[in-house]
Amino acid sequence: MINKNKILELTKANIKKKLETTDQKIINMSLIIQKLPSNINELYEELRIITDQEYPSLDKYLTIKEYCEFYSSGTIKESKDIKKILDSDIGIKLSKSLKKITTDLSKNILDLIKTKENLEEEIDHLTKKNYINLYTLATPKIAYKMLEIAGSFERLARFPASTVQLLGSEKSFFKALKQNKKTPKYGVIYNHPLLVNLSNKNKAKMARSLAAKISLGVKVDLEGKDISKFLEDKIKLKISELK
Amino acid sequence: MNLIVSKDRIFTKDLNTSEKREWNPFHSKVAAGIKKGIIPELKEDFNVLYLGAAEGYTISFISDLITNGQVIGIDVSAYSMQKLVLLSEDRKNLIPILGDCNKPDEYLEIINEKVDYIIQDIAQKNQIEILKKNSDLFLKNNGYVLLSLKLSAISQKHNSIIDKELREFEKSFKIIKKRRLEPFEKKHILILGQKK
Repeated sequence: MINKNKILELTKANIKKKLETTDQKIINMSLIIQKLPSNINELYEELRIITDQEYPSLDKYLTIKEYCEFYSSGTIKESKDIKKILDSDIGIKLSKSLKKITTDLSKNILDLIKTKENLEEEIDHLTKKNYINLYTLATPKIAYKMLEIAGSFERLARFPASTVQLLGSEKSFFKALKQNKKTPKYGVIYNHPLLVNLSNKNKAKMARSLAAKISLGVKVDLEGKDISKFLEDKIKLKISELK
Repeated sequence: MNLIVSKDRIFTKDLNTSEKREWNPFHSKVAAGIKKGIIPELKEDFNVLYLGAAEGYTISFISDLITNGQVIGIDVSAYSMQKLVLLSEDRKNLIPILGDCNKPDEYLEIINEKVDYIIQDIAQKNQIEILKKNSDLFLKNNGYVLLSLKLSAISQKHNSIIDKELREFEKSFKIIKKRRLEPFEKKHILILGQKK
């Protein structure tokens, strides 16, 4: 028979150790941030079902946040153009009970938007503090996705550069290997702002060298040094040579 | 045995309260196997190793069945391990361990006795290799193995790989029974085997 109490304490300590690492926190936060916009949009559409009876053309001129601010407070701060539109709009007046419902619903949406902004600030701060090279070279959104696919920061640091280039395209990569066809050239790195404007041939070349620099930077991040400027200059030099 | 199989439902007697508890075959592959005719030959004094315990639905019923033995649950995920630790506080014979089944050296020092039975429910490409690694280290001779083989985790052309995987399995285990779990779980095979 195995002594249970000792093992139970050991597993509890191991769980704490695993959950307290910063890369797990970043992965969890980025998962929440990816899901929040769809929730916000769903609630916004339900709000519009009621409010479209009053001002059917209002949503063309305002963003979601401004729209919700208008219905939660009932007043518009800036620009007289919108007031003209409101006066000339065709629609009926809402009853008092319906107006209360719209204020409550729009306040909820505003809360969700605020939590999303706070989360983005927090995740930005965490990655900048701990993984500065990854943050500046890969740009934040791609960095979070790379961490999410790799599972942990240590695993990402052990990947070779060619694996970093193809992160996110595993399905088509293994499919191509089995059918003896051409393998893909990029994964999540495809949406990087430096690669967007290049031609197709140059895009693949730059994806390779960019992935090499990212994997180099990640390995230096483990020691906590900052060499992002040095690597960034090298990439920009290479792009200028291409043109 | 605490297992009660009626015409269309499966129950176990609860370990602490000895009340009937229903076992849903749509949530658990072992229960689906019982529905399909594979009775797991679990005796009351067996020690069981469960690889891929997750949040502990199936393992709670296994701990009902072995009243005098112990069941060890292993999983990689820290989040599901939190729930398993909470569950183990109610159940005396359940032991949770955080570890990677692909690297059994991690928990080699903790489990110092050999077990009679291994149950595996992991969706990985090298499912059979993982089972072999663990059974070499922890399973007694003539011990039993219950493996749920997820075919779509190995390849998309799942029909053509069945024979190959079974041949791999038969190198170190003797097959007692095997069934497809079709109405309950898609593209799964449950195999009951014995160590050679």
